Parts: sequence; structure tokens; C-alpha cells
Amino acid sequence: MQAITKSDFIGKDAPVAEKRPLIFTRPTAKTGLVSWLTTVDHKRIGLLYGVSSLIFFLVGGFEALLIRVQLAVPNNTFLSAQAYNELFTMHATTMIFLAVMPLSAAFFNYIMPLQIGARDVAFPRLNGFAFWVFVVGAIILNVGWFVKSGAPDVGWFGYAPLTSTAYSNQFATDMSTDLWVMGLQVLGVSSIVGSLNFIVTIINLRAPGMTMMRLPVFTWMTLITAFLIVLSFPAITIALVALMMDRSFGTSFFEVSNGGLPILWQHLFWIFGHPEVYILILPAMGIISEILPTFSRKPLFGYPIIVFSGAVIGLLGFGVCRTTCSRQAWARWRPRHSRSRRWPSPCRPASRSSTGSAPCGTASCRCAHR
Amino acid sequence: MTLSFTLRSALRRASSLMFVGLLPLLNGGWIYGPQSTFETHGPVAKTQLDVFYVTLWVTMIIFVLVASVLAYATLRFRVRTGESANQPPPEQSHGNPLIELGLIVLSIAALVVIAVPTLRAIWYTYDVPEAERANAYEVTATGHQWWFKFEYPKEQIEGSGTLVTGNELVIPAGRPVRVNLRTVDVIHSFWVPKLAGKVDMMPNRGNHLWLKADEPGYFWGQCAEFCGESHAVMRFRVIALSESDFAAWVAQQKNPARTVPGTQIGATPTASPRVEFASYTYERQRPNAPGWSEGFSRSPFAAWQQKQQADAGESPELIAHGRKLFIEKKCAGCHSVRGHEGAGISGPDLTRVGARTTIAGGLLENTEQNLHRWLTEPNNVKPGNKMWFGGYVVRNNETGVWEQQFSINDDEARALVAYLHSLK
Repeated sequence: MQAITKSDFIGKDAPVAEKRPLIFTRPTAKTGLVSWLTTVDHKRIGLLYGVSSLIFFLVGGFEALLIRVQLAVPNNTFLSAQAYNELFTMHATTMIFLAVMPLSAAFFNYIMPLQIGARDVAFPRLNGFAFWVFVVGAIILNVGWFVKSGAPDVGWFGYAPLTSTAYSNQFATDMSTDLWVMGLQVLGVSSIVGSLNFIVTIINLRAPGMTMMRLPVFTWMTLITAFLIVLSFPAITIALVALMMDRSFGTSFFEVSNGGLPILWQHLFWIFGHPEVYILILPAMGIISEILPTFSRKPLFGYPIIVFSGAVIGLLGFGVCRTTCSRQAWARWRPRHSRSRRWPSPCRPASRSSTGSAPCGTASCRCAHR
Repeated sequence: MTLSFTLRSALRRASSLMFVGLLPLLNGGWIYGPQSTFETHGPVAKTQLDVFYVTLWVTMIIFVLVASVLAYATLRFRVRTGESANQPPPEQSHGNPLIELGLIVLSIAALVVIAVPTLRAIWYTYDVPEAERANAYEVTATGHQWWFKFEYPKEQIEGSGTLVTGNELVIPAGRPVRVNLRTVDVIHSFWVPKLAGKVDMMPNRGNHLWLKADEPGYFWGQCAEFCGESHAVMRFRVIALSESDFAAWVAQQKNPARTVPGTQIGATPTASPRVEFASYTYERQRPNAPGWSEGFSRSPFAAWQQKQQADAGESPELIAHGRKLFIEKKCAGCHSVRGHEGAGISGPDLTRVGARTTIAGGLLENTEQNLHRWLTEPNNVKPGNKMWFGGYVVRNNETGVWEQQFSINDDEARALVAYLHSLK
């Protein structure tokens, strides 16, 4: 039995493996703190995710409590404007990235391999890596509370150009936005790695006879969520890298004075942000679809429909972006008969004479009717 | 058993508490106020409210249906006291194609019911309707951190260009107004809850909206996109005037700044400071007191009309002194008073600041006390404002420390208040 507890045991008759460098050996501690720090077991990682998500849920809840105290009466002086901005930014960022997403990851890790009859996820070490990268990202995001420049204060959506050095360094040297950018990039790595792991697990490690259309609904939602994460997080990662280049190396992706486009940030952000809504809700829908049948002691009503609507929710999630970002696009899409003549603008020759010195040639004038 | 009983009574108590908590909602008063979108005063806001109600009703019906089916099933089929928990399972069923397809069709139908008025509203609110375009008025709103500049491209003043005001937008009532939206720094958003909104002011991009006030009135506006430290107090007002009042207002605006008779620049004031200003402290208004409405104890529109008249008891010497201080204290570097001094454009135009109901970007009522406080300690009124940072204090580029350039004492502030309030 002693041999079995060693991780490199691969069968009684197998040749003894060569001694490998320490870093490549599978961690063997079974008890104590070290076992939790080195674990690659999916249930233990699930518990780690769950506990850290609850911790950050408390942190985010405390931030919300401070916000509500400030708002309890008009003209309150409980918080300064700066502290308030930091609190609502960090409340949202904490709740989304550090509370709800890891809570889903906790259930994915703990339950999904059991549901498909797998021993563990496909890449257990990668799973551990994803968790610890998540912890690092969470620390980077929150370290601002303990440094002089304060926590991030740009809103969880971080709209350019408020995030540029020109506006975040107005009154004091500020590194909080850099921390925010770096923290989200690190968290993105964690989410993408974790999701790839789940996708590979669900596709490859199902027990014999567990066909795709027999998968429990929660596992289906795991798969859809994982695909959403893999498809949407690259968009925000690109946006964050561009923002980091703007802030640290003087590029002009979003820098207005050099012809950058703040609206580019909005598009990149929301092509991530809207699927994110479904990344947060689909696991919960999957959980409900497991709980209700269990307690009513009946099979799930209309399993294929629920699976397909989950997939369609994921697909349409990318489309929601278009409803928010493009009021002008929708307006332009109106039927031809009601499409109207363009507004007579001060910079058109026809009306220029009547308005005198119109602000012609300014950026705003040129873009007005695009 | 006892555990389940305590649990049950706790649940019952919690639900009755929740019901009591919801009671105020039935009162109806909770949706009215100066920035309520439920009291509309123009066709654009009305259209937006209608879309809200369509969506509300559709989702309410869905909520009630789903919740009542869930409640019925939970209550009807629960395990009752005394019954064995190990009964045989109910009849098993995996679904019913007709019901499933029916649910899909119903959801699509609900979406169509929402989509049709939504798209119509988007098309309607996008720009002034073709039929009314000839009658439309045009203004340009520019967002600054943290105040709004309003320009009237149709009103050109001989020798000084377009008519400009700040933080209070005066429009003709009953006429569609197209508002071009610009910004000089970060993204702001233009929102007058009772008239129209909200549309972002994007850097490097022109946006616009249109609004129409049915009746003359006084409306609150607010920046609706997080834009930095003082975003919460970046407000403005919209005053809609009848056609004749508006024409008179425009004619009056085109005049250079008002000069009180008898003022001589350089004259020193003889009057001693009034006591209440010598050690002035800001007293917070008791919020939610009867009749309280964001700094006005009476009709704001009447207050605005009264503000257009010259104050009683103006002191020409004090005003002259204030006008001198306006230059000495570098106010003129960022602000301008057309016809007097100053050509600055980085701060609001002050040509008629005495006639405005609010100061500090719509934050405070324009009273002597508030203006006095705003001039002596702007940093404590509006965090991060550019009058303090860059005006009163300037950053030393080598050390990064903000160094105070000048301050305004009570006497000087009193003279400046008198001067600014004389600008009607």
C-alpha cells in the first residue's frame, strides 16, 4: 500500500520510473496545510475555490455596506468622493471576478467530474495552477487598499479615457489603474486555463455510455460557460494589453489627443462584458435544473430543449453587446421609407453662411454624422 | 421536530417582515422627485417611459405565471406532516413536445411584444422627426470635468462668436431641441430625466439627442456616465421658456455683461464686512424636511425668474472692488465675462452668472452664502475641481506637490460675490 500512495505508481508490473526532478513529481502530502497548498485533487481545489469565493463575497459585501451607509442620507460625509469611487469599483470587480466566478468554478471542479464519471479533470496540475493564478490576481487587485495611491477608482468597466495616465494622474501619482489592469489580466489567464481544462475534461473523460445528450444539465452548463469564457476573455485581455501599452509605453489605442478611439475600448470590453453576464448566470441555471428534478423526484422536463436553449443563450450572449453599444446602428437600421434626410449641419456649405463661424474642421464636427 | 417548528416560525416572521418592507412601495410617492423618469414633461421621455412600462408588464406577467406555478406545485405536492417521506415517486415524464415548442413560441412572442415598441422608440428618439425639423432649435452641449457648457450655434454675437452659457440650459418650450453632444475630456452622459436621455458624450465622436418640453418649466439634469472624482455632483438644469420669453432671454443674453451704474474700477469699498460672513461656516440643509427639494423651498421656476432681476441693495463700490479682484485673483484666466474682463474658456462663462439658480456645476443653490463658500474653499465643495487644482493650487512639476498660489479671504470673497451676483 505504501507504494500506491506514491504518485508515480502506475501498476504492479510497470517498470519503476526514473527519479524525476522535484518539480515534476506529483505532490504526495495527504494532510495538513501543505496538502492544501499542493493539492491537485479536483474536490479539494473545488473547496479552495469555494472558500476563497466566500471570503471575497464577504469583502465585496463589506464594500457594499460602506456604499449603502454613505447613501443612507443625502449629503452624507461618511466617505470621501475618492473613497466612494474606489469602493464601487472594487465592489463590482470583487463580486464579479472574485466571488461569483470562483463560486461557479468551485461547483465545476467539485461536481462536474463526478457527474461525468471521471477520476479527476483532464489536467489536474493545470487546475491547481488556475486556482493559484486566481489567488495572485485577487491579491494584485486588492493590494491597492494598502498602498498610498489607493484602490482602483475607474469603475469596473474602466471606460477610456478615464483610465489614461492623463486623467488618473490628475491630482496625485496613481498606480491603482495599473494594478486593476494587471489584476484582471492575471485573472483572465486563470479563467481561460480553467475553462480549457473543463472543456477537455467534458469532451474526453466521460464514462463509457455517457453520451453528450445524456450529460447532466449542470455539466452542459459547465461546458457552455467554459466555451463562453474561452471565447470572450481574449477580447478583454487584448483591451487590457492595449490599455497597459497606453499607460506604460505611450501608445495611443485609446488616447484621444493622438487619434485613439475610446469607443474601441467599449466595444472590446462589452464583447467580453455581455457574455460575462451569462458566464455568471448559466452555472446557477444548471444548478437549479439539478435541484428541482431531484426534490420533485421527477426527471427534468424537456432536457434537450434546456440544453439547446443553454447553448443558444451562450451564442446570443455575444449579440447582446450590439443592443447596448450601437444606438446609432439600430437607428440607422430603420426601414427605408422612414429613413430621414441628414440633419443640416453647420459644417455643410448650405447652412454655413447662416451660422457664421461654425466650428468646422473640428473632430466633433467631422464625426457628427458618421 | 422542534427544529422544524422554529425554522417554520422564523420563515413566517421573515416573510411578514418582507411584506411590511414592501408596503411603502404601494404608497406611490416613491417614484416622484426632481429626477424621476416617471413624471415626464416631453414626448421623448414619454416614449421612453412607455417602453419601460411595456417591458415591465410583459416581465410582470411572466414573473407572476412562473411564480404561481412554482408556488402551486410546491404547496400542492409537498410532503405533509405525518406523511411518510418515502412514498413512491410520482409519475415519471421526460417532457411534452407540444408544451416545449409552445413555451418557445410564447417566449418569442413576448420578445416581439417588447421589440416592436423598443425599435419604434429608438427610431423616434434618435433624431427630431422629419415633420418637426423645420421648427427645431439647436444647441451644443459640451461635457467638461465636472460641468456642462452650452452653446447656441444659431445665436451669433457680433464680434464675440457663439452665445455660450454654463450649467443652465435655456430652451424654448413646445419646440423640439436638438442637442449636439461633445466632450473635451472623458466620457460624460447627458440626461434630463423628465425630458430625455441619456446619450453619451464620446471623445472624438459626435453624438446627439433631441428633447422637447411640453410646458415652460425647470428641470434637473445629471451626468450619467462615471467621469471621475466629482461625477456624482456633475449636474445641470434645463429651463424651458415660452416662445416670447425665450426670444427676450436670447436678446438679453446677446448684450454684454451688465454694469451696475456708479461702479468705478479701483474704488475701494467703504462698507465693513457683514458679521455673518466673517466666520462663515456651511450649515447643511436638513434633508427630506417638508417641502425640501434639492435646495429650493419654493417653486424653482419662480426662483429662476426672480434671479433674472437685479438684486436689491447693490453696492457699487463693492462691485467695483470685486471686478478688480476678478482680474487680480486670476479668475479671468479661466472664466470670461463678455464685455468686462476675461477670455478664459476652461471654466464656465460667467457673463450672466448672477442670473443662474445654481453654482459649482449645478451643485449648490446660487445664494450669497454658497457662492462665498465656493470661492473661499472650492476644494471642500467639489472634490478635485479644476478651480482649486490648477487655479488656487498648482502642481510643482519637480516635487509633484500642489502649492497654493493664492487664497481668497472673507472680505475679498464678499466683494467677488457682490460682483458676480450683479452679473444678471
